[in-house]
Amino acid sequence: MTKHEFEVAMTCEGCSGAVTRVLNKLGDEVKFEIDLPKRLVWIESEKDLDFLTDTLKKCGKEVKYNGTK
Amino acid sequence: LRSVRLEVEGMTCGSCVQSIEQRVGALPGVVHIKVSLELRSAAVLFDPSLQSPASLCAAVEDMGFESSPPD
Ligand SMILES: [Cu+2]
Ligand SMILES: [Cu+2]
Repeated sequence: MTKHEFEVAMTCEGCSGAVTRVLNKLGDEVKFEIDLPKRLVWIESEKDLDFLTDTLKKCGKEVKYNGTK
Repeated sequence: LRSVRLEVEGMTCGSCVQSIEQRVGALPGVVHIKVSLELRSAAVLFDPSLQSPASLCAAVEDMGFESSPPD
């Protein structure tokens, strides 16, 4: 699986909670980890990058792609 | 036009409030939205031919918050 790193403008646990719920809805095909202080989200998935980016953007926060890790 | 007050769970700060106001406020048929962190709710004025309390809740849930229409 490809591991992608995103920077998401999360400021508090509400933000990371929203990101968690949005990603949980994708089910088993997506594994993820969130580092709130660093504002980073790692996603392991074979889904395409645009789809993952759009999913993160649903939370209404700014999203930046940092590349594969 | 119709107005509804939706319950919204999961917001913790002003940026959550802003995100919801911006995103849901931009939907077709939404005329006005005021989200309250303290009351954990969103007051929405909308065009019932384009939106419904259920579609508005779905939009809030899609953003990663919990939402339900008033009983
Ligand atoms: Cu937050
Ligand atoms: Cu917040």
